[in-house]
Amino acid sequence: MTRSVEVAFAVARKDLTSEWRTRELVPALGQFVVLALVIANFGFQIDSQNAATIAPGVLWLALVFAGLVAFGRAFAAEREQASLEAMLLTPASPVAIFAGKALAAALLLIACEVVLLPALALLFGTPLNVALVAAVLLATVGMAALGCLFAAMVARVRAREVLLPLLTLPLWIPFIIAGGQAVQVAMGASGSYNQAVALLIDFDILFVVLTSLAARFVLDD
Amino acid sequence: MTKTYERLTAVAVLLMLLAAGMIFLYAPEDYLQKEPQRIFYLHVSAAIAAFACFLAVLVGSVIYLRTENARADRLARAAALVGVVLTTVTLVMGMLYAKPIWGTFWTWDARLTSTLVLWIIYAGYLLLRRLAEPGPQVARYAAVAGIFGFVDVPIVYFSVTWWRTVHPGPVIVSNALPPEMLITFLVTMACTLFLAAVMVGIRYRIETLLDEAPSGAEATIRGTQREPELAR
Repeated sequence: MTRSVEVAFAVARKDLTSEWRTRELVPALGQFVVLALVIANFGFQIDSQNAATIAPGVLWLALVFAGLVAFGRAFAAEREQASLEAMLLTPASPVAIFAGKALAAALLLIACEVVLLPALALLFGTPLNVALVAAVLLATVGMAALGCLFAAMVARVRAREVLLPLLTLPLWIPFIIAGGQAVQVAMGASGSYNQAVALLIDFDILFVVLTSLAARFVLDD
Repeated sequence: MTKTYERLTAVAVLLMLLAAGMIFLYAPEDYLQKEPQRIFYLHVSAAIAAFACFLAVLVGSVIYLRTENARADRLARAAALVGVVLTTVTLVMGMLYAKPIWGTFWTWDARLTSTLVLWIIYAGYLLLRRLAEPGPQVARYAAVAGIFGFVDVPIVYFSVTWWRTVHPGPVIVSNALPPEMLITFLVTMACTLFLAAVMVGIRYRIETLLDEAPSGAEATIRGTQREPELAR
């Protein structure tokens, strides 16, 4: 058990180190989400009246598509160098390797949220509070588990750029329903924040358990 | 083999004609909803048959992951295709039903939203099967996608239902239908389930033949072989 945790952290550290050395993904994702906000401004004609009602939707749209890019890249380098096969040849369990990849990808998405959330508050004038950050982080956990599972799956299939969103987005919808509700309340709408967050936690537990069970079938060959 | 399928198809068509006869001639007109209410019979039957198909995908997927049995995978493939067709029927008939009754083709209600998500998930499943090269690896990926899809739909359903709903609840178990309507509904449902089973059976046979065909022929039949000019 402790061995698996060590493997997971080692894989995550490897991914984060390689990102730190190349600095490819996080700057690109940061720029991507700011661009999404600019496009939303022109698409919705944002002003001080409507900003609070539109901002939650913009947040989730930007986050979901940034997430697809982040998780798609998580296995791209492994595929190009065929290094995933090398990792799977080691005695380390595929589930631990998967957990490490998912952890690293989640941290990269959180790095992108560090740009997105303040930019949203700054440009749209919406509140930035603990409730908002907590809801987004909770959604990130489950989205990372699902996103990485399907990214691992499509990495070895052709037309992967098309398939990843098609398979992942419908499964993310529960997180967007509950997370969307929580963020709307955190930005001042009426509703139950606690119920939405409890739901997010339930989904996190369910999908983290399910993806760990399924990871064996996706990675092991 | 083909003869059997032809006979079963003929029976299924006759049964559906019988159901149509009962829907339009035997069942009484609804007092409030008038003629559009007759959509209800096929709309609900198609939804139930679609769920049965996706249940078959789940069972086939779980068996495939446990035993790597190619027949379980073929069942999942066949049932997913028929399930998507039946979900399309459900959605289209539901929209036609909603327009005169609710005044709109679509509303973001729990049942409608989760059915649309269901359709998207299994349409994605079919695309995965179509775009990936056939083989045991893709069968395993698709099995995982099929299982996750089945888990996701009730979750979407329940998470949306806590906030908004318009769609009527179950009318069959709550005993809200007069006997003629109930009989018509049960007959339509049985006929639709039979039709779905025949369709899955025929598709299963096609998948078997595709699996047994030489790989080049299979790619040609599936239309996934790349043109030589494009490949270069």
